[in-house]
Amino acid sequence: MKKICILNGSRSDNGQALDKYLERLEGILESRKYEVTRLVLRDMDIRYCHGCWDCWVKTPGECVIKDDSSRVLQAIIDSDFVLTASPVVMGFTSSVLKRAKDRFIPLIHPYFAIVQGEFHHRQRYEKYPLLGLILEMTPGSDEEDIEIISDIYARNALNLQTVLKFVRLTSDPEEEVADEIGRI
Amino acid sequence: MKLAVFNGSPRAGGSNTKILLDHFLRGFSETQGDEYELFYLIREKDFTSCIEAFKKAEHVVLAFPLYGDSMPAPVKAFIEALEPVCGREGNPPLGFIVQSGFPESGQSHYLRRYLEKLTRRLGCRYTGTVIKGGVEGIQAQPPWMTRKLFQSFYELGRIYGQTGEFDPELVEKLGKPVWYSGPGLIVAGFFMKLFGHAYWNSMLKKNGAYEKRFARPYAPEK
Repeated sequence: MKKICILNGSRSDNGQALDKYLERLEGILESRKYEVTRLVLRDMDIRYCHGCWDCWVKTPGECVIKDDSSRVLQAIIDSDFVLTASPVVMGFTSSVLKRAKDRFIPLIHPYFAIVQGEFHHRQRYEKYPLLGLILEMTPGSDEEDIEIISDIYARNALNLQTVLKFVRLTSDPEEEVADEIGRI
Repeated sequence: MKLAVFNGSPRAGGSNTKILLDHFLRGFSETQGDEYELFYLIREKDFTSCIEAFKKAEHVVLAFPLYGDSMPAPVKAFIEALEPVCGREGNPPLGFIVQSGFPESGQSHYLRRYLEKLTRRLGCRYTGTVIKGGVEGIQAQPPWMTRKLFQSFYELGRIYGQTGEFDPELVEKLGKPVWYSGPGLIVAGFFMKLFGHAYWNSMLKKNGAYEKRFARPYAPEK
């Protein structure tokens, strides 16, 4: 495993702590010879998915909205591992991150396939990166929120026919997270 | 009762969520004195008027399609805008309608757990989550195929108008199948390939994109 993409879903109002954490983590990963692409989603022009399905039926594999989402999709397909990071806001990952994630659907195919006894979308690409999630606890968030988010992100991984390797909190030292990535 | 309804579909007025809500609200309006206010979240610049409507309402229903195993981003943005009303005295009872293209309602159970927790966080009474799978394609289906579905949503709305509750029997009926198993899965898979793929193929062909349907624009060059 060589290429890592970090999707920073922190918010503009109070994102500094998570930004700093990710910067330190990125430094450690680079010192360990990983190639790291960092995307700070709140600074990018990423619009809402319209649900038009043109990326499935008109321009297969590509969204008709021309904005920075294509950079995110390219980075995902180019990476071996995608680390998503977000504060816990009202019990879930941020809307900044969700807006980018809703735009992932060009990466899959409209046809259904049965995976582990469930309906899922057929893969468009041969290979998808493994996934990890870093969460920043905020006042009012609790263990149950982490469980709920982890379950939903594990489902997201299944829909991309890949695996969520870990969920970590920013209270865990950056070194530990880097070590965990090293073990994948 | 005064009901505030939020349609969280990114497709707004062209959405399947709208169609289901239309039937629900037709039933709801049959009870004398019941009235509703409807908002499309994607059309809101900020959520000021939505928050005001939320605070004034006697009941709230938030309806949206399942997007990436959870809520669409505009719905998450609205939920974040509700943060200041967490635990406010007199928050209205809150319920959800979630529809998905996936046929199994179990796909939305992970989100349902989130929504239930959200009502606790807001300090609202939870009136439940209605889940309906297999909704993609209803706009292309002839009336005889959708009659029962629309009738169920009409009934759901009618009973909600009278009682302020989602009828548990209807919720259970709409939620079937939770998952498929055994021969049911094989049969469902067969029909999904037959009709589901035909549905997508007809649109791909209409757009002259059928030959490119497996395109991989972001794949590394070989």
